[in-house]
Amino acid sequence: MKKLLLTSLILSTLLSNVAYATQTIKANVNGMVCAFCAQGIERKMRALSQTKDVYVNLKQRVVAVELKDGQTLSNDTVKDLIKDAGYEVTSIEVSEHPITQIKAGYEPIEKEKK
Amino acid sequence: MFIKPLSVTMSCLALLLSHQYATAGPMGFSGSAMTMGDFNNNWQEMFINYAITPRDAFGVSATYMRADDKTKTRTLEEVTYTRLLTRWNMPHAQANLWFMGGIGALQGEDKQAGKDQRFDKIMVTPGVQFDYETTRIYFAATYRLYRASDINHDYSAVRAGFSFYETEYDKTQPWFILEARNMNGLSEKIEITPMLRFINKSFFIEAGVNNSREPRFNFMYIF
Repeated sequence: MKKLLLTSLILSTLLSNVAYATQTIKANVNGMVCAFCAQGIERKMRALSQTKDVYVNLKQRVVAVELKDGQTLSNDTVKDLIKDAGYEVTSIEVSEHPITQIKAGYEPIEKEKK
Repeated sequence: MFIKPLSVTMSCLALLLSHQYATAGPMGFSGSAMTMGDFNNNWQEMFINYAITPRDAFGVSATYMRADDKTKTRTLEEVTYTRLLTRWNMPHAQANLWFMGGIGALQGEDKQAGKDQRFDKIMVTPGVQFDYETTRIYFAATYRLYRASDINHDYSAVRAGFSFYETEYDKTQPWFILEARNMNGLSEKIEITPMLRFINKSFFIEAGVNNSREPRFNFMYIF
């Protein structure tokens, strides 16, 4: 009984770590210079059932899509949606950082430049 | 009379062309509907179009035009087609070449000494627009034919401007825009309008006063 409880505890800890691993797809985008025009990217990303949050940074040319727990999304889908909104993806990567952390990483750089 | 505004325009254009370049094109993203309004005393236009692809949009438009001396008025209701011919996506800029065209019903009225002449015609309005933009600077040139039998109201416009400062994506960015435009056969002068533009991810508005001291207001909204 003791062993069974211990095994269950270890398994649930492992599974919960897998389930809550953050996945954010971060793309560098060319041509993204106007918030009014770039709203298409955000709207298309938010329309996906996998999307938890979206971050757009015009100055750094970055679009980041954080996925809901346990959800997956291919880089190609993100690339196609951005292209469909009228822009060009130059590079794309998967990050384990949530959007709040990515945002916090860019904004001090921009404030320092000002 | 126009030398001073013209020299100011040229100085601003030279200044703008020497820097980086923002705007909204004449259509939204694929699957969206965009509405636009452009209003002053002599030119009032409303249109809405729907983008069926990233490059093609169909819509309807209604325009009221009036001559400076108020002797001529025109109303035009048309169906429109907008095509993104070419887009250049650069690291810190975007440039576009657009085709805009329409066909519709024109109702006109010419007031001449002692008699008014009214007419109805079919009008076609093909045109092109080039724009170049960054997060700080904007430039656009538009030329559009407004033709019907014995009628030529071709429209030409140049716009240039700069943002006062950069903002985050979620914030409203203020711009200064200077526009020079003319409509053949309705006005002999070049209308020059300095405007303040406010761009947000949800709306786009411009307001100014032209060189005839008349107010001007524009807006765009994407559904």
